Amino acid sequence: MDMEKATMQLIVNSGDARSKAMEAIESAKAGDFDDADQKIQSADEALSKAHESQASIIQAEAAGEIKRMTLLMAHAQDHLMCAIAILDVAKEFIALYRKIQPSGSEKTGGNNSK
Amino acid sequence: MIRITLVCAAGVSTSLLVSKMNIAASQMNIDAIIKATAENNFGKYADHTDVLMLGPQVSYLLADAKSRYEHLGIHVTVISKEDYTSLNGEKVLKDALALAK
Repeated sequence: MDMEKATMQLIVNSGDARSKAMEAIESAKAGDFDDADQKIQSADEALSKAHESQASIIQAEAAGEIKRMTLLMAHAQDHLMCAIAILDVAKEFIALYRKIQPSGSEKTGGNNSK
Repeated sequence: MIRITLVCAAGVSTSLLVSKMNIAASQMNIDAIIKATAENNFGKYADHTDVLMLGPQVSYLLADAKSRYEHLGIHVTVISKEDYTSLNGEKVLKDALALAK
């Protein structure tokens, strides 16, 4: 197993989940709840892929294939944890936006506010 | 000479890709300054960047980065997941060069 590649996959898929979750919040903020739901679904899919990468790394470790733990692996785990937390929070944010701004009432389309 | 800055959440994984890109640049005989930094630190590099490349894990920053930096003449793009995962320095460097043309 190519450990560097598996670790990078964990980082990229976790980051993808985080990116999609953030975009979903922006969509909900702009009143586009269909898009927000779609992005949350993409984020869930990316997170599943990240979990698969993580599982393969843990299995490799259990099989004694990992000779040394690297900072990059710890960093990848950091990304995964961050993605899980942001995805959970994004779902709550979208639910809140739905309450204060019912679907179709407003579509500003703006997503660059910071 | 081309100045490329890669940005990700903390600048950790991009620094790996930067080292591969530097190897590719010297093999291809290209004069390039390639750096990696954290997303919240890019402002310091904006004056010294021709191409800003975002890691796929921070792709949600694309619209914001474009609106902030494109008018300064900086090309902004997102590195593909495939190239990022495989740390394909040569491909990413070529993408940057194509963008700056």
